[in-house]
Amino acid sequence: MSATVLHTEAGVSDEKQAAAKSAGRRFGALVVRLGAIAAFAAIMAYFVIFAPGFTSTFNLINVVEQSAILGVLAYGMTAVIIGGGSDVTEGGIDLSIAANMGLCAAVYATLLSMGYGDFLSVLAAIAVGMAVGALNALAVVGLGILPLLATLAVLNVAAGMELTLTQNTVVGASSPLLGVLVSGSFLGISALAWALIVFSAIMIVIVHGTSFGLRLYAVGGHPEAARAAGLSVPFYVSFTYVLSGFCAAVASILTVSRLSASTPGSGELLLSVLAAALLGTVFSRRFVPTMGGTLLSVLFIGLLANGFQLLNVSSYWVNGVQGALILLVVAITSFARGSEGSR
Amino acid sequence: MTRSMKGLVKALALGLAAACSLAAISGATAEELSLKGKRIGVSAIGTDHYWDLMAFRGIQDRVKELGGEVIALDAGRKDQQQIAQLQTLIAQKPDAIIEQLGNLEVLNPWLQKIRDAGIPLFTVDTATPHAINNTTSNNYNIGAEIALQMVADMGGKGNVLVFNGFYSVPVCKIRYDQLKYVLTSFPDVKIVEPELRDVIPNTVQSAYSNVTDMLTKSPEKGSIGAVWACWDVPQIGATQAVEAAGRNEVKTYGIDGSPEVIKMVMDPKSSAGAVAAQQPYEIGKTSVDNAAKYLAGQKVPPFTFVPSVLINKENAAEKGKPFLDAAEKAGVK
Repeated sequence: MSATVLHTEAGVSDEKQAAAKSAGRRFGALVVRLGAIAAFAAIMAYFVIFAPGFTSTFNLINVVEQSAILGVLAYGMTAVIIGGGSDVTEGGIDLSIAANMGLCAAVYATLLSMGYGDFLSVLAAIAVGMAVGALNALAVVGLGILPLLATLAVLNVAAGMELTLTQNTVVGASSPLLGVLVSGSFLGISALAWALIVFSAIMIVIVHGTSFGLRLYAVGGHPEAARAAGLSVPFYVSFTYVLSGFCAAVASILTVSRLSASTPGSGELLLSVLAAALLGTVFSRRFVPTMGGTLLSVLFIGLLANGFQLLNVSSYWVNGVQGALILLVVAITSFARGSEGSR
Repeated sequence: MTRSMKGLVKALALGLAAACSLAAISGATAEELSLKGKRIGVSAIGTDHYWDLMAFRGIQDRVKELGGEVIALDAGRKDQQQIAQLQTLIAQKPDAIIEQLGNLEVLNPWLQKIRDAGIPLFTVDTATPHAINNTTSNNYNIGAEIALQMVADMGGKGNVLVFNGFYSVPVCKIRYDQLKYVLTSFPDVKIVEPELRDVIPNTVQSAYSNVTDMLTKSPEKGSIGAVWACWDVPQIGATQAVEAAGRNEVKTYGIDGSPEVIKMVMDPKSSAGAVAAQQPYEIGKTSVDNAAKYLAGQKVPPFTFVPSVLINKENAAEKGKPFLDAAEKAGVK
């Protein structure tokens, strides 16, 4: 019966079918999204009940402190994904961000060890970070190279420059600023934790509380529409890469304070940064990256490692679980995008 | 009645005395050590190298043997992760922490925090003022022995390629400084400048290409006499590079005693000249014994040396075998 209807009224039923399919997909995406959030909540509940000392204030502040560097980097990545669009293959992505942090840390520690003060050294680190960001912007916006490839190339440039500068060695550093970051605390919360709190507040306000942030989403979500509305898409996209470089520089100073040195191997953080930025999308109804979502997922990743250790579960599991979660979230977002596409 | 009472008391007293003396005897041996009801935190910077893995296993196995609970943390060669793990570990308040290798500059402030938290700290192969005891090989000896073996094989003259990428790792610093000290007596043995940098990861590949490049730069036979590294993974790459270049006059020297390298030294045709073989598994176990002694109120020296063996071309067949057997027993190739 319905088959004959389909045949006779092909055009109408196609539309209906598409609408039904899209509604189904949207419903499916919703289920999967809520499922993912439920999984997060279940893991946390398990830790709260079974991991000894998990909910102590001391432990929670430790986790915030441990998440500061990852958080600052993840904000940079999130901004790039917002401005460039969240398509995993063609959208905005900054693979160079962790290597850039390594380079900035090397510059900062090297200048400090050469006797330049905090002011100059911090300035230089920030300048280097933003310059690497500008290089990404040039490659992506100016030369039109796919961000995935452009930033991969810049990753190698930054990593190479770091190696050249440090000869792959540990460069020890100490300064008044680092002293404050290491041992300072205010209202019982350590300086490093404050750094994350303040930086988060600034990023959330800029991206979610200003018209600038709104335009950034417009540029990433619908570049054609944004262009038609008179927005300079290249400017906004370039801005995100430079901002990402700035975040790398800020993170580099936090990293040097935490390790009392610049050390090789910063690039290792890239997977966690990507995980944080991508995981954050499940906290948004439209599966777009948000600063708040990124903060939640950064804390989640930190709590995951912390909870496993408190439960005395091998740290080897953390990487596996992180990888599985990325896979899950990427699957969900492509699922959701499918529904948007057919809409 | 009273008589039998007396007899009973006597017998009891005798028995008690005997029991006491027995306890005294066994108390002096290591068998009586116990970690029952104790939690021991173990933090290693990484376990991707044979030495690291064996020491890490030795620690864990011994804690379990003594009835303790292990919180085992492998930072996967990431400083950030090791610091986070140590920070959480301090909050967990274990009865003792054993820390194994890593960058001292990065670690020291955190080791200080462990002591500030009142947690006894023991280290494996990591000399730091914050540790109650550091269990390690006698790296002063090792460094001098391997350097002297190299100088002897070179006939007291020639150029040496030196890998010096890990001077910030304390044991490497000692071995390198000992090499330099030995060379002050042999002015005809010269280190080629600039020195090479060994790296982690891709240690073998990187050493291979570094040595290949240097041999290409100095093509005449005899212009390079030896390659030295403070551990033996770069030695693998160096040995392969020397052999691939057909420059058999160059011999390689390293420290640790990975089974792969011991096999190379045992092979008369290989360019691996010598390796100082340590006993990482024993080192790990011994550090636990030290922690157990300390927790039982006994005195512990600031450092404990576990013997190592210099394996060279002459003694390799005899001295190398026990090490290979131990590795096989542990299931590590």
